[in-house]
Formats: sequence, C-alpha cells, structure tokens
Amino acid sequence: MIQTSPREQTIVDTLKSRFPDAIKETRVEGKHRVLIEFEKERFIEIAKFLRDEGFDHVKGITGVDFPTKKIIEVLYYVGSYSKTDLEDLLLMLKTSLPRDKPIIASATPVWESAHFHERETFEMFGVKFEGHPDLRKLLTLDNWEGPPPMLKDIKFPEMSQR
Amino acid sequence: MTNNPNQQTPPPSPVTISQTKDPSTLDVSVGPQHPGSGHVRLLIRVDGDYIVNIDPDIGYVHRGCEKIAEYRTAVSNIPHLERPCIIDAIHLNWAYVKPIEELQKIVVPPRGEYISTIMAEMNRIMSHLYWLAINAGVFSGHTTIFMYAFGDRDLFIELAEMLTGARLTYSFIPPGGPRRDLPTGFVERLTKLLDYFEGRLVEYDRIFFSNPLIIARAKGIGVLKREEAIKLGIVGPNLRASGVKYDVRRVEPYGAYKDLEFNIPTFQEGDSYARFLVRFHEMKESIKIIRQALEKIPKGPIARKAPLIIPEGEATGRVESSRGELTYMVMGDNSDKPYRVKIMNGSFRSLIALPYLLRNVHIADMPIIYGSLDYWPVEADR
Repeated sequence: MIQTSPREQTIVDTLKSRFPDAIKETRVEGKHRVLIEFEKERFIEIAKFLRDEGFDHVKGITGVDFPTKKIIEVLYYVGSYSKTDLEDLLLMLKTSLPRDKPIIASATPVWESAHFHERETFEMFGVKFEGHPDLRKLLTLDNWEGPPPMLKDIKFPEMSQR
Repeated sequence: MTNNPNQQTPPPSPVTISQTKDPSTLDVSVGPQHPGSGHVRLLIRVDGDYIVNIDPDIGYVHRGCEKIAEYRTAVSNIPHLERPCIIDAIHLNWAYVKPIEELQKIVVPPRGEYISTIMAEMNRIMSHLYWLAINAGVFSGHTTIFMYAFGDRDLFIELAEMLTGARLTYSFIPPGGPRRDLPTGFVERLTKLLDYFEGRLVEYDRIFFSNPLIIARAKGIGVLKREEAIKLGIVGPNLRASGVKYDVRRVEPYGAYKDLEFNIPTFQEGDSYARFLVRFHEMKESIKIIRQALEKIPKGPIARKAPLIIPEGEATGRVESSRGELTYMVMGDNSDKPYRVKIMNGSFRSLIALPYLLRNVHIADMPIIYGSLDYWPVEADR
C-alpha cells in the first residue's frame, strides 16, 4: 500500500471534480509520480488547466502500441519548474487512441516544449497531432517510405540477439 | 537588420522555415559533417552576416535504440542503451536500470548506491571536461584549454577503467547494484587525483573562464531568459544558467545524494557565459560530492541478485545526467525483454532552444551558442 500525500491527492481530486467525465483513472504511484488517464476529446482543456496549476513544461511524449487491444497509448510526461512545491512531481497523462485512426489535438498551443516530442511521436507511431505547426519527419532517413517504425507489427529481425 | 540581436521578441512558431523566401537571403546547410560533437545539420537562412531563420535537421545518427531494446533482454540492453552518450555512459545506464529495479522491487544496498554515485560524479567531471575541451575550447578557438582538459580527462578515464574495466562504455550497473567493489588502492589514487584536479580548476579559471577574450566572446551572447527556458522545457546546466534552480539530485534524491551536501550552481544571466560557468562550478561541486562519498561510504554488500524477468507494469526512473534530467520509461510484460523503453534525455530537450537562440545573431556567434548548450547529437537521435 502506497502512502499518498495530500498534495498529490489534491491535484487528482481537483482534476476529477473539474472534469468528472473526462478523467478515467488516476493513480498516485510513490512519492513523485501521478498517473492520469483521460478521454482525448477534452485534452486541451485538461492541459490548459494543468498549465495554469503550474505544470509548465513537457518532459517527453511517447506512444505505446498494443496491436492486440487495437489501441495506441499516448503518454505525456509533464512537470513544473516555476512552482517549487510541485517540481519533484512527474505527472503522466495517458490516453488511448484507435490504432487505425490515431488522431489527437496538438499540445503545442498549451506547452510549446511539446514541439519536437510530437514530431517524434508522429514519425515513430503515426499519431497525428492536429494543430501542430510543423508536423513532419524528424529522425528517420529521408528515403524511409515504410510505415511508422515503432509499431509492433513492423519487425526488424536483424535486431535480434545472435 | 537590428544591431541588438538579443532584444528580439521570440517568433510565434519556433521551427518552421518559411517557404516564401526574401530574395536577399540565402539558405546555407551547416553540417551534417561533424561540427565537433556529432552529426547534426542546421539549415540556416542568412541575411548578410545575420542568421534570420534556422531549421535543425537531426537524425543523422539515429539507430533506433528504443526499437532494438524491444528485441534484447533486460541485461543485454545495457551496453547499447548507454551508447547514445558514451561520454556520459554511467548516467544512461543508471537511469535505465532504476525503473527495472522498481518493477522488480529490488532495493540496492547502500554501499552499491555510494559506488554508483562516486562513478556518476566522476563521469560528470569527464563529460564536462569533454565539453570544455571541444564545445567550449575548440569552438571558441582556444586550443590550450582543449589540450589541458583532454589531458586531465584521461586521468579520470584511467581511474574509471580501474574501477569498471572499461574506459568509456562501462555497463557498470546491472539491475541490483554495481558490478564491482572499489579495488585496492582506488581510494588513494582518486583522492590524489581530486587534489590535483582542484588545482587545475584554478588554472582553467585563469586561462579560460576569466580570460577577457572568452568573456568578450561569450557574455551577452545567446540569452535565454528564465521564462523562455521554463516554457521551452530546457534542462540541466542550460536551465540553471537561466536562473531556475532545478536538479534531479535535489528534487528527487537517488543514489547516495540524500546523505551528501552540495550546492546547485545557478546563474541569472542565461547567456552563453553563464552556461560556461554553470559547468565549471558543477565540476567543483562534483569534487566535493566524491570526497564526501569516499568518507561516508558504508561497509556491506554492493549488490543484490536481480531476476532476469521484467514484471508487468511500467515505471520511470530519472537521474541528473551531465546534460540534465534524464528519464527512462520501461514497460514490462513478464518476459525477459522490455515491452517498451522510452528515453527522454537532455540533448533532445535542448534542441528546441536552437531555433530560439540562433536567430538574429551573427554567423560567427553560432559556434559559441551551439557549444554552450552542450548538445550531443547522438544522444538526441538515439
């Protein structure tokens, strides 16, 4: 049983009362981690709310592919620099998108630091971030024509251990 | 064209290089040949002597570390996951192992945590010396500091080899704790080296950091204001040079850091010179940390045996690497291979600062600003 401190519980409770139908699950994991699962439709509202609470930057954005469940989970890692009482928290925002049509609103209007992270997730998982100012390839070769390489059904047997 | 480049308001979108082009400007590709710290291409648009727009084109050293990690076992992932930043290998290794230990519910014995901490701080000094030699020294045309810093870095590398068996890519910390205890004679040699190196830092200060030429080149160049640094999510020494006192060693103490006393060098100016100074003072703090750790190191076992399976679930581990906050997310599915590994590192997060800082500056200031960020392309590309 993890001891939850009142600070994390307050954040979770305010979010739940503010967006009762959009927050699916919340979990306080240890001292410095909070996981929040939300519905993608109200992402921008939730992001704006969190930004105004003091979570001022994105540390990373990524996807996780689940071919059996037919979803792609998108994870946002958010933190705070400007509020000293929140700076040790790593807020993890999670949502699932349908695998055949992964579209979500871009976080760049709210958090400018999301810019390159969204470009990477777009390239690696094919997630389309609507409203991103410059959504194009970032890391793969210019002549890479294949599907997004981090999807589970794209296999690279030569990477296996010999 | 304005003559005061640093007073410009930041552009609405940081990256996009517009397709409609003023006929008086010229597009120039800088790189992807090695500009000193790895392969990166900066597509810059110049108007006379000024850079008006920049589009960083990265990925020349992308090798799919995260994809490869899904094909290898938890332990055999360590050697290649520390490769993205070989001069800072121990931090990449440590941050990868922490979430696995959390999932396996393994607690590393205190002596093991101390040994990892000593090694991590030695690695921070080595990494900052590399930065000082190449990114600060060579980029500003100061060859003496290049020779000095590289020479002194090798002394630390020799000690790292004595402890771990390898000069750069140590693979020192598997899940459960470090591989080796401190060898005989190591403490004496390290103590002697720290005394020597402390004197060398005085010399570095005299010939480089207090050098009027370096101050004239770096001061007031590439200013990143506090609010901008926060908004862009900058990390590590670059963030602390802009006045934000944020250090993972303090906000989420790991290893032995909760028992050790150290300062977090912070500057308010946010210019290239402040970023130089942060790293200089961090080397001093690292000396302090290692000395305390050598004094306080407890006796006992160094590691526990860890299972080879990664249990189901996801965990994140973070450390303060030489380039700032480094976070690994590891997702397990009860097999010996991770289901997903995600690396969030300082270099990739510094990338967004390039379009901000390299706009409306002289072309000649580009190496100084780029060098002051300590951007490591291989780490960013993974």
